[in-house]
Parts: sequence; structure tokens; C-alpha cells
Amino acid sequence: MTIHVYAGLKDYFLPEFELTEEVGNIDQLRACLLAINEQAAKLLAACRFAVADGFVDSTYKFKAHEIVIVVPPSSGG
Amino acid sequence: MRSSSSFRPVAEGSRVAPDGAGKGVVDRPIDLVGLLAVGHHPAAGAVVLFSGEVRESNLGRAVAYLQYEAHVPLAEKMIAEILSEAKAKWRLSVAIAQHRIGRVEIGETAVVVITASPHRNEAYNANRHIIDRIKQEAPIWKCEYYEDGMKEWG
Repeated sequence: MTIHVYAGLKDYFLPEFELTEEVGNIDQLRACLLAINEQAAKLLAACRFAVADGFVDSTYKFKAHEIVIVVPPSSGG
Repeated sequence: MRSSSSFRPVAEGSRVAPDGAGKGVVDRPIDLVGLLAVGHHPAAGAVVLFSGEVRESNLGRAVAYLQYEAHVPLAEKMIAEILSEAKAKWRLSVAIAQHRIGRVEIGETAVVVITASPHRNEAYNANRHIIDRIKQEAPIWKCEYYEDGMKEWG
């Protein structure tokens, strides 16, 4: 699974990295990311997740080798 | 033949859309005048243009400039959806929104929303709705760079 992060998340993670662990859903992905850097906990709790240019919710089951976008709260404008 | 109402500006008659006019996200200065020129519509008696611009200070701190980034495909898709929904809800003749990414200097436009409708209430209300949703929902982020050398993500 490839992870892309944006904005303030780049203070805690590389902009793009691979996860070798098997991750089935968003809760597991959050836990995995927290294990990498627990200082991102507050920001991760507010993030949305997207695959293939569409947001996914907690019921979504990740596929193997999927590209997952971790989307912090918007701050445009 | 005139175009029907649209949320994607196009060249119409003598009004030529500026480069990138159909894009929701651009990495160069926003052409306010050019976008406004394609914001007019024969069915619209009201055109509202909102320009979100970079302030020189935030919460008492002197701002040097802002740096915006976006997940462009997703942001483009969401902006198009927001415009389409607003256009249907308020029966707009025109709905345009464009957000800039990259470095934006003090006084420059970071985001523009143009709405046109037969009467002003719809154009005003839709414009406010569109900018609020873009700010809250579109995957676009700003990083404030301050004159003291510090930076902070919004």
C-alpha cells in the first residue's frame, strides 16, 4: 500500500511512503500511522481518507497495493 | 448561438475565456478580469464576484506570503461538484470557482467565486455557499509563512 500525505502531515511523515503491513481498513491504517509517529495523533484523528480520487469511509476495505491519500482538514481560501 | 447556463466558463461571442478558465485549481495568478468577463450571461441580472486575497497579518503576526497545496484531481472534482450542486439549487446562470496553489503574495487572489443569476439574492447566497464549502471540504491547504521566519499550516 502506498500512502500519500499532505499539508501538516508532512511534518510527521514523508510525503509518500510504502506500508508493508497488511492494512484492511481505515481504523487499522490510522493505528499503523500512529505506530510510525504517535505525535501525529491529533491531526490523524481529524483526517479523511481517499482512494482513486474519491473519499472512503470506515466501512471501506482496502485492496492490495492501493494508493491511499490521507487528507487533513481543508484550509483553503 | 449562445451557450446555455454553465459552471465551466467557455468562450462565448467576443468574450474569450482566459487560459485555465475551466480549471478549479491553477498554479499561476488568477485572472479576475478574464474570469469576470465570462461570468456574464444574458439571463443574469446579477453577477457576484468574491475574491479571497492574502492578508498582510493574521492574529497579529506579520504574514510574508502563503503557500497553497492541493490534491489536485480530488480538489478539481469536488469544486466541480460544489458548483454543479449550487447551480441547480439556486438556478444559477453561471457558477465559476478557481483556487490557486503555490506561493501567493500579499494582496494576490487565492480563490475566486463568480455567480450569476436573474436576481441578486440567489447570486449572493450561492456565492457564499460555494466559498464556504470550498474552504471546508476541498482538499486544499495553506501554509502561512511569517515575517519572523516561522511557518504554520492552516
